[in-house]
Amino acid sequence: MSHIKIDNNKCKSCYLCVDVCPKKLIKKSETIGKTGEYIAQFCDKNNECIACAQCAMVCPDIAITEVIKS
Amino acid sequence: MQTIFSTPKSIKENSTFTFCPGCDHGVAIKLVAQVIDELNLQEETIAVASSGCSVFLYDSLDVDCIESPHGRACAVATGIKRAHKAQGNNKFVFTYQGDGDFASIGLGESLHSALRGENITAICINNTNYGMTGGQLGPTTAMGQITTTSQSGRNKEYHGFPIKTAEHIALCEGSSFSARVALYDIKNIINAKKQIKKAFEYQQKGLGFSFVEILSSCPTNWKLSPKDSHKKIQEELSKIYPLGIFKDVENE
Ligand SMILES: Cc1ncc(C[n+]2csc(CCOP(=O)(O)OP(=O)(O)O)c2C)c(N)n1
Ligand code: SF4
Ligand code: SF4
Ligand code: SF4
Ligand SMILES: [Mg+2]
Repeated sequence: MSHIKIDNNKCKSCYLCVDVCPKKLIKKSETIGKTGEYIAQFCDKNNECIACAQCAMVCPDIAITEVIKS
Repeated sequence: MQTIFSTPKSIKENSTFTFCPGCDHGVAIKLVAQVIDELNLQEETIAVASSGCSVFLYDSLDVDCIESPHGRACAVATGIKRAHKAQGNNKFVFTYQGDGDFASIGLGESLHSALRGENITAICINNTNYGMTGGQLGPTTAMGQITTTSQSGRNKEYHGFPIKTAEHIALCEGSSFSARVALYDIKNIINAKKQIKKAFEYQQKGLGFSFVEILSSCPTNWKLSPKDSHKKIQEELSKIYPLGIFKDVENE
């Protein structure tokens, strides 16, 4: 099952990844990050991630550290 | 299992950018790092940072870096490239500068490096203001654009007209490559990387001054969300500053 890794210490809650994911698999979490805002969270209950890496390409903070296809 | 994306090797482990949330400086540096990795340039690269938010390049990019005074990055890069060449070392030298740094205080150094055909690469982050110092009007601020020093918008009577940097560099006989790219969507991010790679390869081939201007967001000073900043670049700025390749000596 394809997936991404988000580094909670790097995420600055810009939500560009939330908008870009074609499968809408990234959401605002309930965890407050370093900027005082809710950080992004990958939620893929139905294994829909296509490992397109668009989220990692737009992330300005390289907080999406890995995209794995399987 | 296949890794589709991982942090570039040329980004320091555990480093975090100090840019504001959603700032395109981070995307630009990520692309530069990916290109350095793909061309296997990490060991031979010397990056020249400048004054402005661009200076934070050396916090994260894992190559030899030197800081230059405001506007002088191309002059510093010239010295580094030439001194190493005289010693028989072929170093890969590029500058990473803001629009204020490259095209205002440093315009003389920048244009003359291009005119001399200095075999270096310059990356210019055009966010249409002096980001680091609080968003003042710069040489690239668009007509009508509100900044802290143009509170009713840039006007031609008092401020004059903005500069189209990539077009000017293209006019210099010593330049090998000049392009303007943007980072507001996936298609443009992919293209930006392609043009940065080409600019780097032209230096490797010894073709002369290569240049990429990147239309970039400054959400903090524009007082827009990261998403709306990208919309502004797509709908307004890329109309005023057209995207494209203005000089390419290998395709003339
Ligand atoms: C000689 C000199 N004058 C002024 C400054 C103050 N200063 C620091 S950064 C900057 C503007 C940077 O703007 P830009 O190059 O567009 O970079 P940005 O922060 O927008 O990325 C200025 C005026 C300085 N550091 N040195
Ligand atoms: S890799 Fe593609 S599908 Fe998977 S989370 Fe990122 S943007 Fe969404
Ligand atoms: S793009 Fe990066 S920094 Fe922005 S919300 Fe997503 S993971 Fe966080
Ligand atoms: S001031 Fe503007 S250019 Fe500088 S880090 Fe913040 S958003 Fe980026
Ligand atoms: Mg600027």
